[in-house]
Amino acid sequence: MNYPDSHLSDQQLLLDVEGELSAHEGKMARAHLSACWTCRARRQEFEGAITDFVRLHQSEFAPDLPSPSGPRALLRARMAQLSEASPRGLARFWLSRSLAVAMAACAVLALGVATSGLIVKRTGRPRLQAALYYMPDSRLTPGATVLLHRSAVCSQSAEGNRSVPVSLQRQVFQEYGIPSADPQAYEVDYLVTPALGGADDIHNLWPHSQSTTWNAHVKDALEDRLREMVCEGSLDLGEAQQEIATNWISAYKKYFQVDQPLPEHRRPRADSAR
Amino acid sequence: MTPRFPVSLATPLLPIAASTRRGDAHARLHEDVTAVFDQLRDPLLRYLWTFGLEVSDGEEVLQEVFLALYRHLDAGKPVENVRGWLFRVAHNLALRHRQRTRRDSEVQLEASDAERAADPAPNPEACFANDQAQKRVRAVVDALPEQDRRCLFLRAEGLRYREIGEVLGMSLGAVSMSLTRSLARVARSAER
Repeated sequence: MNYPDSHLSDQQLLLDVEGELSAHEGKMARAHLSACWTCRARRQEFEGAITDFVRLHQSEFAPDLPSPSGPRALLRARMAQLSEASPRGLARFWLSRSLAVAMAACAVLALGVATSGLIVKRTGRPRLQAALYYMPDSRLTPGATVLLHRSAVCSQSAEGNRSVPVSLQRQVFQEYGIPSADPQAYEVDYLVTPALGGADDIHNLWPHSQSTTWNAHVKDALEDRLREMVCEGSLDLGEAQQEIATNWISAYKKYFQVDQPLPEHRRPRADSAR
Repeated sequence: MTPRFPVSLATPLLPIAASTRRGDAHARLHEDVTAVFDQLRDPLLRYLWTFGLEVSDGEEVLQEVFLALYRHLDAGKPVENVRGWLFRVAHNLALRHRQRTRRDSEVQLEASDAERAADPAPNPEACFANDQAQKRVRAVVDALPEQDRRCLFLRAEGLRYREIGEVLGMSLGAVSMSLTRSLARVARSAER
């Protein structure tokens, strides 16, 4: 490209007008334009053509647009709807919810001690779509405990969780937006197991998917481990309750020192049919 | 309208960070998408208008466009060039809308002519020169292939050549040649 010795092409002129030439090319073009009246006139013609088109565009293709406030409000409402309902949003929520759950669990456990009952005010229930639940929704299942001393926990039978009445199971499915759930696909599970002082309350129950890797049998293994530690005195009961309510999967990884459930924990235990 | 988007539209818009609390992250995402909406709603609506979409239809399409942006970011995917991305989605949805309605709804400039003829101008003498110039340019633009017209419309909405290429699936060189060809025709029409 030797601009001083030859005229600029139409494309080069337009690219120069548009600021789309590289720094070097732009410098060369300007050097040529400063010496060439013909190219400067042609460049001016391109500027004029742009002006002509912009005038046409503004008069023909720029309708008087209504205020954006209505469409903006509609967009925001639709986004809010999506963020409530989208399964992905929910899935990501599981990844980042530990703080919220921890706060909820702390509130639950503190009040549980004071009232030996429960706990969280129930507000409008979000309706969730059927999904694979390996963690409860903290808005629905923050966890609930009864006031029990360690000795009371450890003196009671270590057998599996009490079975949840069918009517209560139905309520749990209803709350989670899966009223016609296949009972075989879920186990209505205690978040804080009664074997660790968990309450028989809907705030402490959730539909645990059977088909996930982190299924109810894995959680049973964690509960057994925590109870063992509480009863041998190496773990505080309140701490055990809080860890399981906050994020039972993290607790499992912590106490078994693994990243994935151990194969023997994924299957039902031989001595129990929970 | 005061632009609320805090950064250049060419700046990547990032998805929700996994480490952010859900409520905060969604609130931030709502704000980001709303800010982009405030800044680009008018240019996008005008671009949809060039497909023959009435404003009300255009508003509907735009809702789809911005919800697509929201879903995209919510799914954890980044957007490298927000403006280019939105115009591309709007372009594709407008094409689909036009196919669906089965009508060639490019804005008919002749219809505008008729409307203008029926509309008494306040100062017809003063407007005559401009009117003639616009008729001349309209005739040139009308005769252009659709791809060339699209390049002009997108450039008029402020898109750079690279963004136009992304929207229309053209190379940078092809965009440059298209605009050069079209504007050269407009320029030549003024010489006659």
